[in-house]
This record gives sequence, C-alpha cells and structure tokens, in this order.
Amino acid sequence: MTLDARTVQYTHGSEPVFEGVSLSVSSGEVVGIIGPSGVGKSTLLRLLALFDAPTQGSITYENEDVWQLSEHKRLEYRRRIGMVFQEASLFDASVRHNVTYGLRIRQSWRKRLRDELSRIIGQPDETSEATRALETVGLGEKTTQDVSSLSGGERQRVAFARALAYEPEFLLLDEPTSDLDPRNTAVIEDAVLEAKERGIGVVIATHDMHQAERITDRVAVFLGTERIEVGDTDTIFSDPTDDRTQKFIEGELLY
Amino acid sequence: MPLELHTLVAGFPFEWNYIRSIIEVSLYVSLTAVVLSTLVSVPVALFVGFKEFRGKTLCTSIINTGMGFPSVVVGLLVLFTVSNDGPLGSWDLVFTPEAMIISQFVLAAPVITGVSLAAVSSVEQNVRDAAYAMGGTRFDVALVTIKEARYGIATAVLAGFGRAISEVGSVLIVGGNIAGSDGTSVTRTLTTAIQLEARQGRFETAMILGAILVVLVLFINAIVVRLGNGGGRYG
Amino acid sequence: MQSYFIRAPNVVSVTIQRREVIAGIVSAAAAGLAGCVALGGDSDRPAISGETLTLTTTTSTYDTGLLEELNAPFEERYGVTVATVSQGTGAAIESGRSGDSDVVMVHARSQEDAFIEEGYAINRRDLMFNDFIIIGDSDDPAEISGTADAVEAFTQIADSESTFVSRGDNSGTHTQELEIWDETGLEDVNFGEWYQEAGQGMGDVITQTGQSQGYTLSDRGTYLSMSNETDLEIHVEGPVEGGSELLANPYGIFAINPAVHENVNYDLAMAYIGFITSLEGEKIIEEYTVEGEQLFFPEAIAAEPNFRQYVPEQWDGSNNG
Repeated sequence: MTLDARTVQYTHGSEPVFEGVSLSVSSGEVVGIIGPSGVGKSTLLRLLALFDAPTQGSITYENEDVWQLSEHKRLEYRRRIGMVFQEASLFDASVRHNVTYGLRIRQSWRKRLRDELSRIIGQPDETSEATRALETVGLGEKTTQDVSSLSGGERQRVAFARALAYEPEFLLLDEPTSDLDPRNTAVIEDAVLEAKERGIGVVIATHDMHQAERITDRVAVFLGTERIEVGDTDTIFSDPTDDRTQKFIEGELLY
Repeated sequence: MPLELHTLVAGFPFEWNYIRSIIEVSLYVSLTAVVLSTLVSVPVALFVGFKEFRGKTLCTSIINTGMGFPSVVVGLLVLFTVSNDGPLGSWDLVFTPEAMIISQFVLAAPVITGVSLAAVSSVEQNVRDAAYAMGGTRFDVALVTIKEARYGIATAVLAGFGRAISEVGSVLIVGGNIAGSDGTSVTRTLTTAIQLEARQGRFETAMILGAILVVLVLFINAIVVRLGNGGGRYG
Repeated sequence: MQSYFIRAPNVVSVTIQRREVIAGIVSAAAAGLAGCVALGGDSDRPAISGETLTLTTTTSTYDTGLLEELNAPFEERYGVTVATVSQGTGAAIESGRSGDSDVVMVHARSQEDAFIEEGYAINRRDLMFNDFIIIGDSDDPAEISGTADAVEAFTQIADSESTFVSRGDNSGTHTQELEIWDETGLEDVNFGEWYQEAGQGMGDVITQTGQSQGYTLSDRGTYLSMSNETDLEIHVEGPVEGGSELLANPYGIFAINPAVHENVNYDLAMAYIGFITSLEGEKIIEEYTVEGEQLFFPEAIAAEPNFRQYVPEQWDGSNNG
C-alpha cells in the first residue's frame, strides 16, 4: 500500500502554503516530516488525510487519484486512514466511548441504533479491538473512566488508541508528543513502532529532531514552501545534501 | 395557616376535570411545538454555525430578533394565515389547538435555534476534525457536534419550552380560549385560564392556576436535568 | 286428532297469506330503515350530530356564565358541541366577517346593524336585555348618587373632573358609553386626564376603577358577579331597577350569511338561534341568577310582532339598506 502526495500545491487565500511538494508513505514504514512551525506540515497531513483537495497536483492511494473518485469511494479510503492531532480532541465521554468511535461509525445504522439504545439502558459492550488499542498505549485498565479525569498525557494516548482501534492502513500524526512529558512521549513512540510492526504506514510531523532520529525510517525536510530534501533518516542526519538541512538540524531556524 | 392556603385546602375552586383538561391542552400544545421546533432548529443551528454562506450575518440577526418577538404579534400573523379568509383557511385550523402549536412553534424556534447555535459554535473544530479524520461522514460529524453540545442544546430546548408554555398572547388570539360547557378545555391553556380569572377580578384563583403552571415548568425542568445527569456520561 | 287434520288446511292457508303480507310490510320497512341508516349513520341520531358550532361573543356575556347553562341542553339535544369564543364585541363581529364564526351574540345594536347592512349578518333576533349601571367609589365625589338621568350624571362627572375609566375597546359597553357622552354635548376639550381609556375587559376595568377610586359604566351582570371582589357602589341605576332607558343593554344574536361564507355551519347556527329564542331557551335565560339576582330579561318570545329586531334600526324601508 502506498499513500502519495504528488507535486501538490495548496493555496489558502492568495499565497500558496506550499507548492510542488511530493511525499510518499508505504505500509510498514515511518516517514517523518520535519521543519519549522508554520511551514505547512499540518496542511500536508490534512491533504494526506483527504480533508481537502490540493489546488494543484494529486493525492493517490494505491496509485488511484482519490479526488477523481466519487465521494463514496473516497470515504472508503478515508476510513483506512487514521489521524492524531497535537491536541487530543477527545469526545466528552468515557475512554471506551472515544476509542470505539471509529468502529461504531463503520457499522450499519440499525446496529448503531441498537448499540446506542443498549448503552442508554446501561449495557455497553467491550470490543476486543478497543481493548487491544488501549493496551498498546498502556491504558487497558482505564476503559470506563471519563476522559475528564485523565491527565494530558493520558488523553493523548487515548487519542492514539482511538485512531488505532479500527486498524487503519495509514496513520498520520501531527506533532503528537509536542505537549507531552518524556514518559508519555516514550509510550507514544513505542506505540508508533508497534504500529509499524503491524504493517501500518506512519507519517509523523515533528519539530523534535531527536524524535525523528529515533523512530523514523525516512524523513522529509521542509523549509519555506518547498521540500528541500528527503531520504533515509540516517543519511539525512549524518550527511545531508542541502546546507539548509544541516543548519536546521543543528537547531537554527530558517525563514 | 394563611387564608389562601386554607381556602386551597378547604375548597379547591376548580373541578378536577377542568384542571386536568387545561393541563393536557397546555402540555399537548407546548410539548408538540417544542419537539417540532427542535427537529428544525438544531439542524438549522448546525448549518448556520458551520457553513459559510452569503447572508450568514443576516440569518443570525433574524434568529436573535426572533427570540424576542412579541407573542401577540405572532398570534395576529398566525390568525391572518389560518383564518377562513386567509391562505390556509381551508385547513380549518382557526380556534384549534393545532393553530396554537403553529404559533408556539414560531415563538420557540428562534430561541432554540439561537441558544443551540451558541452551543454548537463552542464545539472545538479539532473535535469535529477528529471525527472526520476517523472516517466520519458529514452526518457523523453533525451527530458528534450535537452530542458534544448536548448540555447547551438541552438548555436551548428548555428555554424554548419555557417561552412556549408561559406565553398567553398568541394562543389566546388563535385558540379562542374555548372550554366546553362541561368544563373540558378545547383550546384553554393554563395561561389563558389565568387571564380569564384575572379579567374577572378573581385574582386568588388566578394565582392558584399560576402556582400550578410554575410547578409544571419546574417539574419538566427537573426531568430534563435528571436525564442529563443520570443518563449522564457516555459509558 | 283427526278433527285437527281436517280443519288445519284452512288455518294454514290464512296463516300463509298473513305471513306474506307481514313479510311484505317488514321488508318495506327494512328498506325504508336501511335508507335512513345509509343517509345518516346512526339511525336514531340526527345527521347533524358530531358537528361543532363556533359561537363568538363578548367577554362580559361569557363571564356571566349564562352560556354554559344554555349550551349544555342544546349540545345534548343535537349531539353537537358549541365552541364558545369570548373575544369582545369588535373581535366577535370580525370573526364573523372572516367566516371563522358561525353565529355571533353581542350587545351593540349599532355595530350589529352595520354588519347586517354589509350583508354578513343574517336572521338577527332580539335575545334578551339587561342594563348598565354607573358605579363608583363610595365617597361619590361627583355627587351623582340617586340621579335618575344618566346624561346628567355623566355631565356632573365631567364638571367635577372625577376619574372616569372607560372600556376604550369598541365593546358594546364602550359603544353605549360613547352614546351617553354624545348626549351630554360635551366637546373634546372638556375631557382631560380624569378620563382614562383602559382598553380592557369589564372585569379589569372594574378593578382599575376601584383602584383609582373613580367611576365607570358597567353592565349589571359583570358587576354582580364581581360583587365580592369590588368595593364600588351603584350610583345610577339602569332600567331594570327603574332607571333611565338610555342605560338599557339589549343583546342580539345572528348567523353568518352562508352566501358570503360557504363554509359556515348555517344549519347548526339556525338550530342554535332557534333553541335560545324558544320557550325553553328563554326560560333558562330568565331563571339564570348571579348572587341570587336575575341577570337577564328575555325578550325573544313576544306575542306582539317585533319587526325592528330583524332589520337595522335606521332602515328606511327601501330594498337595499
């Protein structure tokens, strides 16, 4: 499986956010997107998550241009992708209710109605996928808790489990550990590697160089409105082709 | 004990049939109006809240104006419409509870829409995006928004109900405050019954009906709040 | 035994004949009955049953409680429902104008007449009368107590600039009040702040008059039914107690013309008018009391002809009003 952005441009207002950008992710690899804030990492991830169409270029799933397809077909592809944002953005409900969301919306309406009714009379059901996803982030015991009683780090872990529960083929992570302490960051990073092992293709946007070094297989460097370099993580970090990459990795911000 | 309470206990001035039928009409008219109004208002609130369209500001102004629209004026407008002479004359709605439902719908809908709009607007875009990212359709996202805004929407519905059940001007004009000769109400509500007692100078009995109305409203509010807390967290 | 056998054939033949005749009669009757059933559903209830008559009337009429006494026997006799809408004189007539009302009962002859002339009102009958009284604060600042002449009393009130609360709502009472003011010959300049237009029903106006310790013109019926709630006293009596004819308050009833509004329930309206102007109806009216006093005096039943009730009072006899 591959998910590609091919020479995409995205314009918001009059100025393009970026143009001529390409990125590819395949099953079982972790691709990092690194660059300063505001360079369009989130926008690129949103394009890959099929939120909006690029103003130029294409997004392809298994080499099919998704924006040439019907909305129904596109929805099918969308359902094979998961996304985690910088803020957990959980629903105001229990952990279990959050994590099972992806599974619930894929059921028929009749089943959904029946489940909702049985929940109201107090008989929620456990699903094995939800439990597995929560165990991946180390929260297997907290399924019935309300999310408001969790810490920030725990909430982000639930958000991760939520995206994982319906077993997507690709996982897109938008600076998922920026707000977290080292312990929770480690849990998430372990979860990313476990996802990779299961064959999920992961794209992770980060401004933490060390994180990129730790968990990514390939990394794409973005500065300004273009991708300046992409390649194996090891290569990029040790011997980048572009000067600017070198400077950025060493911590200087380029505008 | 005070004189009024003594009178109340010693000789309740109304027959049970009268009171029961008045309460029934009040609840039938107001509950139906509020339910119908909610079914329309919440989708409208979602639309106005999240879709960009021309005239969005105008829409919001109309909703806000509608919240305070005088009920007598609504009553007149509905009367013109359902009167035998009016466009809906052949529907035979004048002086019926159904005409009263129409006028209370017009009164409650802006309130429910306006407060719901505030509630859904305060749902964070990130949460909506998360639902979409997980493969939700636009309808799924709408459902998520409603669930996240459920307390605000409940407040909106209660506010709409309060407006409907306590208004007297429009239901008096379109309903006619009709009660049968055996005391059974046809279009008489608690509020119009109060008005009737008051205009005849019978203020104490008017207050008794007023107390019943207040208790009724408190009761409905309590039920909704109870449902909100007990049914409670989504487990 | 044998004798029976011999005589039997004659009896049998006669019986057979009779049986045929009876069978013929029964089947004819059955056919007739079947016809009735086909026409009106229940063969023992009138075809009109189940319908609703919309009666619009004034608030003061309704508040006396008379209509509940009148409507119940009517509803039972015909198996119908009377929906009584108490709106106030002007609104009651307007409901007739738009065809929302089938039959209208008010006490404002001039407005009724105008309505007849416009063609909306039809088959008007005099129904009953009571009277108006001038009531006021027990202190009687205008000193009108005992005055026989209503016009004189009103003039004294204006001269002393005592508070006067008017209905101000185009009702029958208000119409009468304005006629009396007309008779006083007073001009607009003579009316100052002492004259207050309430724009409300009789009960509210009595309450307001009591609070401002002034005077007002009231129908006797509302005053009587409010006697426990008000301290105001009767200062000028109406014709029921021997006072001036100008304070007479006659009630009329009319149906709405089906030629103008096809949808009105004309049959039922006429049945209703027929009922309340009948001996039975008039008896109910006569026997109706409030606080032990008779409130209304029926005038529908009269041996002497009364043409004036059918046409506008000012009608000059020509064909088209």
